[in-house]
Amino acid sequence: MALSDIAEQLDQADPSLARYNRQMLWAPIGIEGQKKLKAAKVLLVGCGALGTVLGNLLARAGVGQLTIVDRDFIEITNLQRQVLFDHDDIEQNLPKSVAAQKKIARINPEVSVEAVVTDVNHSNIEQLAAGKDLLLDGTDNFETRFLINDVSIKHNIPWIYGACISAMGLAMNVLPGETPCLRCIFETMPPPGMNPTCDTAGVLGPTVSVVSSWQAMEAMKLLTGNRADLSPFLFSFDMWDNRFQQLNVKRAREVADCPCCKHRQFEYLSGKFASATTSLCGRNAVQISLGTSTRVAFEQVAANLRNVGKASFNKFMLKCPIVEGEGERRREYELTLFADGRAIIKGTNEAGIARALYSKYVGA
Amino acid sequence: MPVKVRIPTPLRTLTNGVDIVELSGGTVGGLLNELSGKFAGMDKRLFKQPGELNRFVNVYVNDEDIRFLENLDTPIKDGDDVSIVPAIAGG
Repeated sequence: MALSDIAEQLDQADPSLARYNRQMLWAPIGIEGQKKLKAAKVLLVGCGALGTVLGNLLARAGVGQLTIVDRDFIEITNLQRQVLFDHDDIEQNLPKSVAAQKKIARINPEVSVEAVVTDVNHSNIEQLAAGKDLLLDGTDNFETRFLINDVSIKHNIPWIYGACISAMGLAMNVLPGETPCLRCIFETMPPPGMNPTCDTAGVLGPTVSVVSSWQAMEAMKLLTGNRADLSPFLFSFDMWDNRFQQLNVKRAREVADCPCCKHRQFEYLSGKFASATTSLCGRNAVQISLGTSTRVAFEQVAANLRNVGKASFNKFMLKCPIVEGEGERRREYELTLFADGRAIIKGTNEAGIARALYSKYVGA
Repeated sequence: MPVKVRIPTPLRTLTNGVDIVELSGGTVGGLLNELSGKFAGMDKRLFKQPGELNRFVNVYVNDEDIRFLENLDTPIKDGDDVSIVPAIAGG
């Protein structure tokens, strides 16, 4: 279709679509694609760095229904990269998903946003994903990603993986039955503490934007019915090193003996590998046990935590003080990590907060 | 033939920040063993056991997964680009 024809059609189109004019001028979207976006239901899991960019782009693009789920509150150290939040949200002590909902209502009131404040786990993720056209990864930990992967494959709902740290990022489309799934690429997660996290090694705003913009673009292709244009690659980059790669993973489904998409064993969804949290009554502490047995390398964890607090360890356990927030919102915690990956977080009775701290500073 | 291997950020804590390491080449397995010998802790990050990579680390030669090539026996020639891609969790 010639551009002039599209422009003419847009003039006669539903006036409620006017705000999407520049997007509809792009022929593969057009008016029909825009209507498909409006009819789309998307679950955004995690509303931190990746999640806020995803929510911002997709709300502006006119995705009809967004369910945003997150367990966390906003801190001053989030503002450097979490684009939907500002100082007022911190003042009001809003949960991330609620602050995102309020901000999106001011950006595009036509988008229906459901804000859910919860820790996504094997007992609630199927309900959250039910009826959705797409699941988007805005999480900060492996366990939730493997859960999303299980739900996606089990219920045949596409998802888009994205992850980043410092200046590097990874992203990939998972189309059940068509592409490799995340466990075809990374079958297991690293033991806790082995890998640095954004809260121990840092992360730069542009890194986040590139990963989540890639995810958002793929989401728009998928939701407008342009599936043939989706990337079949694992997108990998390091912007500080000036490296951008499209890694060939097409054959991973054949080569990997994948427990999830080949054998349909949904080990994370079944709870087999789920971490468990127990509030330790009267101690203002929460215990976290992992679903997998492992050995933690304390030297590595202590090195990862060197910019967080002074970690001390012996053969049996590692202790590290963690301070979050400032002023009235300053909170002091103490992490005690055992050699099998189990941890006790002192300073809270809330499982969600403890699990978030574990993901951020130990990483699993 | 020496080959330059780029160390991904999450592994640079083990190389004291060094981002490119020159290794003597041969096969992918040979390169990674040599890398493990140079830096303490690298062996555990890369290998589950001798001759078997951890399932949270992938290696690509010229953007091809070595699992589709000859795995750790994949030969490395002059000019090949070797990428170590560890699973990352941030976001």
